[in-house]
Amino acid sequence: MWRWIKWGFRIAVFALVAMFLHYTLPQRDVVQVINTYNRVQPIGANWMFYSSEDTGTGAETSTTRDIRFIDVVFPDGTTTMTYRNEDTGWFWPPYFKWDSSTLQAEATNYKTTETTPRWVAVTHYGWRMPIISIFPNAVKVVPVAGPDVRLFPWLNLVILTVLAFLVFMAWMMIRQFRERMIDPAVERVAQTMDAVDQRADAARGRFTRWLDTWRGKPRP
Amino acid sequence: MILGWLRLLAISLVILTVVYVLVSIYSRSVRRERLEETFDAGGVAGDRDTYIAEGMKAYEQGLRKKLIWLVYVIPLVVMTATVWWVNWD
Repeated sequence: MWRWIKWGFRIAVFALVAMFLHYTLPQRDVVQVINTYNRVQPIGANWMFYSSEDTGTGAETSTTRDIRFIDVVFPDGTTTMTYRNEDTGWFWPPYFKWDSSTLQAEATNYKTTETTPRWVAVTHYGWRMPIISIFPNAVKVVPVAGPDVRLFPWLNLVILTVLAFLVFMAWMMIRQFRERMIDPAVERVAQTMDAVDQRADAARGRFTRWLDTWRGKPRP
Repeated sequence: MILGWLRLLAISLVILTVVYVLVSIYSRSVRRERLEETFDAGGVAGDRDTYIAEGMKAYEQGLRKKLIWLVYVIPLVVMTATVWWVNWD
């Protein structure tokens, strides 16, 4: 029973961390831009998946917001994606993006039709989830040679390696702290307790022996 | 907006200072442990406490302790590089 709960908890934590990283880390899609536009987007309970209100672009409110969007189509010609294009603000996720106007202009510049394709790699983070109206946020648009370009996520490799190193260092630090500070302290307390215990035993022995003299037993 | 960036800088400095202190304590502790182990392995002449005190003094003036400043330098450089890469590259 406890084993199940423990493993369930571990899996849940791992899944949460994995989802968090999958949402936050950059990904690149090779696509064609087919439309760029602004739209007033209502924001409610899904505010978490939009920029915070104090990013400084000026138009952020908690109910509706005028947001730039970029529509794209994947090389298969049918799968589409809609990115929002918002400044990320001063804290999270740490892309420090405040050039959404420029990005929108660049995306518009790469806008194509099916007959004259221009391929771009859109760096973005986030998820498209129609059911709660959330869109990935585009961060960068760069032209690429063609639809078959394969992009290896070097940056993510580096970030994940660094994160793993940080976790490892934190674990080493905690271990060192326990070995050098907590364990000796516990040992000292245990020794003190033993000494107290022994003195108490000795005292009780003397007390019992004294009582015994009243019962007519001879002192040992 | 400027306030937002100042706030980010302030919070970063506070967090990095906490990290700096923790890493300093860790690094010092590891060095002391190694000095103790070296002495206890034998072959070192003199008093144990003196040997450790001298080793720690050498550590305090050494390069390794100065390298802990990278705790501040690396994140701030990475942040600057990100700003440049996202907005200007």
